[in-house]
Amino acid sequence: MKKLNLTKDQIQKLLLSSIGFIVLLYVYFTFFLGPLNRSRDSMLVSINDLTGKVGSSKNEMAKATNLEKQATAATTRFATLKTLNPEGAPIAWFPPRMKAFFANLQIDKATARLEGNVPFKDADLADWMRYNWMLDLPQTDFATVGKAIAELENAEPLLSIHHLNIRASTDEPQFQQVNLNVATVMLKR
Amino acid sequence: MALHLNLLHEEFLEQRQRQRDPLKIGMMVLGGLGALMFLYYMWNAYKTLEIRSRLNAVQHDWSKVEPKVTASQKRSAELNSIIGTTRVLDGMIDSRFYWAPFLEKISRCVALNAQLTSIDGTVLDDGRVVNVMIEGLAAGREPRAAAEELRQLLIEQLGQIYYEVKVEFKTLEDLDTLANIGGANMAMARFGLSVVFNPTAAAVKAPSPSPKAPRK
Repeated sequence: MKKLNLTKDQIQKLLLSSIGFIVLLYVYFTFFLGPLNRSRDSMLVSINDLTGKVGSSKNEMAKATNLEKQATAATTRFATLKTLNPEGAPIAWFPPRMKAFFANLQIDKATARLEGNVPFKDADLADWMRYNWMLDLPQTDFATVGKAIAELENAEPLLSIHHLNIRASTDEPQFQQVNLNVATVMLKR
Repeated sequence: MALHLNLLHEEFLEQRQRQRDPLKIGMMVLGGLGALMFLYYMWNAYKTLEIRSRLNAVQHDWSKVEPKVTASQKRSAELNSIIGTTRVLDGMIDSRFYWAPFLEKISRCVALNAQLTSIDGTVLDDGRVVNVMIEGLAAGREPRAAAEELRQLLIEQLGQIYYEVKVEFKTLEDLDTLANIGGANMAMARFGLSVVFNPTAAAVKAPSPSPKAPRK
């Protein structure tokens, strides 16, 4: 094989060419091909991401449609329970409502007094509050109050009686005095 | 043998050296490589543009679908909340203690020779226990027996609809006063009854023992 004899000038030129070649490679990969590949990769990631989202969105919408069908009973029930809560502060409408309710059942002088309200700890009842009331029925009789309590328990599903006190009236023995401690579940206003 | 003289030797050498010039060869190689790299870059750029157009199409699709998805997600969350709330509220409604049936049972137990003066009832432990204090008067030849009869009747009547019914005397004392019932004077006794019961079957079933391992 013939030995390659290079002059000093040729070696310098060869070195210069090598440096130029390295610079070309560096510029090419750093400033041209690199950014292009990064841009392409990020676009591919975005495409995969969006394709996944579009795919899952169909499931999501199908689930929502199914849930809408399944929740028909619950939504109707919820709407019914909400209608039990008129607009406005409960202290404004609940005592008159109770007074009218008992007056319809021939129990006069009924009063309702708010004793306090507390929020529920359950996250499902975040929009609801428990109101505690004291209902005083100063003049009634056992049979009438029994019927009234039955009517109240049926008409007000969100009301529960926690304490009941029926005692003979000292002034008029034919009557009884009744105190009811009730708790109602009401929407936050 | 003929003598062959190369008089252009130096020119030939110079031409050969020019052809072997490393800088020239290097430049040619660089040019070739540069062309290849440019072509490769162009190919990549073309593919990138194609991907960009695909991305634009997908983004367009997503922009059309996104409002619907957001709305359906919001609606799903709302429906789940409604279902959860309704379930909890229905649970509260179902677990209420109804006083009216209890008062009806009481009214069936009180005979003509007994009179209740006070009923004081409280629902304890989230409706699992109901505690009632009943005070009253009983009259008869044996007023204590009349009061005991009332107690037995309460156990029988309340036991029909409630669980773990306990009816115990807290007080039972004879009174000096007499009551006139049907034209006859009867002795009287004052009594205080403690009534405790469990209104729900679930709480009764709860503490049932776990099945034991079979004996060898």
